[in-house]
Amino acid sequence: MKLEEQVPRNALVWIIGTQFFLLLPHLSRIPWWVLVLYVATAVWRSMVYTGRWSFPGGYVKTSLTIVCFGGVALSYGTLIGLEPTVALLLIAYSLKLIELANQRDAYMVIFIAYFVCLTEFLFSQELLITLYMIVAVLLNTTSLVALHQPGQDRFTSSTIRRAGSMMLQALPLMILLFVVFPRIGPLWNVPLKSHAARSGMSDFMKPGDVANLSLSDEVAFRVQFEGEVPARRELYWRGLVLSKLDDGAWRSLRWRDVPGDQRRLAEPELVGDYSDYSIIMEPTQQNWLYALPYATTRDRGIIRSNDFRLVSPVEVQDQKRYQVRSWLEVPLEDDISDWRRGVDTSLPELQNPQTRELALQMLAEADGDPQRYANAVLEMFRDQAFFYTLRPPLLQGENPVDQFLFGTRRGFCEHYASAFTWLMRFAGIPARVVAGYQGGEINPVNGTVIVHQFDAHAWNEIWLQGQGWVRMDPTFAIAPARIEFGLEQALAEEGSFLAETPLSPLRYRNIGWVNNLRLQLDAINYRWQLFVISYDQDQRYQILNRLLGSVGQTQLVFLVAGAWALLLVPVIITMVWRNRGPRLDAATRLYLDFCRRLRRAGFERSGHEAPAAFAQRVAADRPAWAEELTAITRCYENLAYGGSSDPEALDELKRRVRTFRA
Amino acid sequence: MKGVLDNAALGSAREVPMKDLVDRAAAEVGKVLLGKENQVRLALCCLLARGHLLIEDLPGMGKTTLSHALASVLGLSYNRIQFTSDLLPADILGVSVFDQASNAFSFHPGPVFSQLLLADEINRTTPRTQSALLEAMGEGQVTVEGETRALPEPFFVIATQNPVHQSGTYPLPESQLDRFLMRLELGYPDPSAERQMFLREGSAPQPEALQACLSLEQLAAVRAAVDEVHASDNLLDYLQRLVAYTRNSAEFAYGLSPRGALALLQCARTWALMEGRSHVVPEDLQTVLPAVATHRLVPTSDYAGDASALVHDILLNVDVIAG
Repeated sequence: MKLEEQVPRNALVWIIGTQFFLLLPHLSRIPWWVLVLYVATAVWRSMVYTGRWSFPGGYVKTSLTIVCFGGVALSYGTLIGLEPTVALLLIAYSLKLIELANQRDAYMVIFIAYFVCLTEFLFSQELLITLYMIVAVLLNTTSLVALHQPGQDRFTSSTIRRAGSMMLQALPLMILLFVVFPRIGPLWNVPLKSHAARSGMSDFMKPGDVANLSLSDEVAFRVQFEGEVPARRELYWRGLVLSKLDDGAWRSLRWRDVPGDQRRLAEPELVGDYSDYSIIMEPTQQNWLYALPYATTRDRGIIRSNDFRLVSPVEVQDQKRYQVRSWLEVPLEDDISDWRRGVDTSLPELQNPQTRELALQMLAEADGDPQRYANAVLEMFRDQAFFYTLRPPLLQGENPVDQFLFGTRRGFCEHYASAFTWLMRFAGIPARVVAGYQGGEINPVNGTVIVHQFDAHAWNEIWLQGQGWVRMDPTFAIAPARIEFGLEQALAEEGSFLAETPLSPLRYRNIGWVNNLRLQLDAINYRWQLFVISYDQDQRYQILNRLLGSVGQTQLVFLVAGAWALLLVPVIITMVWRNRGPRLDAATRLYLDFCRRLRRAGFERSGHEAPAAFAQRVAADRPAWAEELTAITRCYENLAYGGSSDPEALDELKRRVRTFRA
Repeated sequence: MKGVLDNAALGSAREVPMKDLVDRAAAEVGKVLLGKENQVRLALCCLLARGHLLIEDLPGMGKTTLSHALASVLGLSYNRIQFTSDLLPADILGVSVFDQASNAFSFHPGPVFSQLLLADEINRTTPRTQSALLEAMGEGQVTVEGETRALPEPFFVIATQNPVHQSGTYPLPESQLDRFLMRLELGYPDPSAERQMFLREGSAPQPEALQACLSLEQLAAVRAAVDEVHASDNLLDYLQRLVAYTRNSAEFAYGLSPRGALALLQCARTWALMEGRSHVVPEDLQTVLPAVATHRLVPTSDYAGDASALVHDILLNVDVIAG
């Protein structure tokens, strides 16, 4: 093999090291044996390098590939989907090591590595991951640089420094392209994350099936209000409306459940105060978006549903940013259709007879007034021995609501919301469960409201004549602290808040500096998401318009080229500066100054003329100057060629040149 | 090089006694070679810089006279070889002869075993014989019949040659030319010198009769002093610009080799010493450049003339002071 086709030792080590660095963040998603495979191929390749083993033959490679495919299929149960695909990519990336024979193969591995860097962002786009991947790109670029240092088998920091400087040089272009490059929609859709929505929200609710609700401290979304943040008790982020009771579980209505004439939203009249805010939502793989009632938006591609929610026609697979204006005082649907009333009052006839009895009795006590009846129910929850807990007993019988209301009396929001709905519907009042998030944490650093998964909540809306849908929160009746101060306060006695995630920084928020650090980090992350992750085509247009007024595509191209040229100016200046010729010493500068004075007197020193020869020529013409010419020339020769570094001699030359009058 | 300033006028940083010695030797040689002070000094410079000297000119210009005179004033033992087309290497190096009395071969050293070897008309002999001188000039030793013998110290070669376009010559190869530190051309004498020559015809001193001006110790001392001469950064910059010019210029087939550049510096140092200075100034380089560089540079084939005009161009085109 020719020397320039060989893979130098340091390049090989950089490549293998980069592979490990890239595998690391994927480890939680890929089968453990991929790591083993990587270690094996790395060892094999090192043995090949030292000359002890040879490259595996074609049969070995083919069978390894087949076995690995089989392994992925076994581990995931499928070969389709994001994670199996990434696992296959990583396997190919590792296996390529044992046929990395010449430079061409090394290029292949390095380019695959750049692609592997990209795949990490399919799972997470957090700031920390981004920083990690920048380091990964640096390592990979270092491999590329090392590949072009043939014969260099020693490790020098110059390799990584050169890679770093290359990346730094690319930075301005990267930023420029990030800002102005058109965001082209995906050419094909990748099936993202096979596991469905994480803990938090799902599109059905069956209280009684969950004995121990585990809390997740992941962020659901962040909100930036433009004005004042409303009181915490007003922050009911509606996500889903669950109207249909299906085998004991509350479900939302599907598109086909709604008759055609009911699908359109009855636009309410916009009156009263409103609140503007923007939300950056973490990916949920679901269609629904969260907002305060009554939410309107001008963002394209967001639909308002007939139950006053915001819905995205495509599943939210990336972080999504949207602008909302909420009219907090607008009554929702002051006239209700028969279909809607029918849906929201229907109940299975034979279930929960005790509850039915209770409902009818309490309705009679309230003289049939829905408002008074609802308040009476809330009072019942408040005054009687109902408890708020995340560890409720299971409700498995035929009549779970009876069991709850007259038996266990322990539960969390779902239990109360569900029971409340039963009680309302038995009394013929249209009622439904609303699922979403309640509250949120205000980050004092930047004023954003951080809504975590553990802020997930379920409450009710009942329809009252003249008022439309009115929010009712039975959980508030039982555990007002849950609403006023958040879940942590509500669970202070039970001690179950984030009991299963001991490492969550949220658990330690009563330690001042931990909490401060956590909030600072979140503020940074918010900015990151706001300005980088959620930067999309719309924002691009907005920013470009704000910066440049309205520009067409052609102008934009010129603009980019111009901006790039502008960025190159410092580079050019540096290059010119570096090539500006040798630095002149002080004596030579003085001597050249002397020559300029003589030139004004008509004696031009030609380039090839040595100082003494020049002095002689001038002296022959102007004998009067001979003495001074000789003195200056001797002084200069001693300084420039005599190796004298005497400061006095320099001073003398300076003095003589200054006083020389041609 | 014209325009060289009289150093007495400028004064020198350190008065070196070597200067008197060299001046006296030059004056002594000048007695037999009239009107060639510059060439005489350059020839002395070459020998003091431990180099071999090549003198090239037409017959009858005083080449041999100069060589003889130099040998005499330096007080060296010398041999002379007249190169002819049938000269063999053994004629130069020596030969082993069977001695019947001792019943063994005994080595009879050739003329090369001397302190100063005059190789007259070196390009009249065949390349084979020319190459016999190579090792002697390069290493100061000769190998005869498998045995390496050291030559006396010091060892100089002064070679003369006729211009190569004359008939019956074998041009010296570049490799051999490179072993000569300098190549000098004498040229016609100026009219006044020539007139003086006519006037003293018959009573002219013979080169052999010249007085030796330097002892071997003094010669060694001069040579040691050469190494002490300071070459400043400014000067080395100038030297590098000169060398780079020969390498980049389209007029030369190839530029000065590093050995050529070193030779230039060595000669400039010696010249500075001979001028009584303890440091090299650009004029020193300018003075020695034609003698040192001309025979090492080959003009590109589309240039018809001699390299000497081009070497003069080097000096005109390279700035003494950068910037």
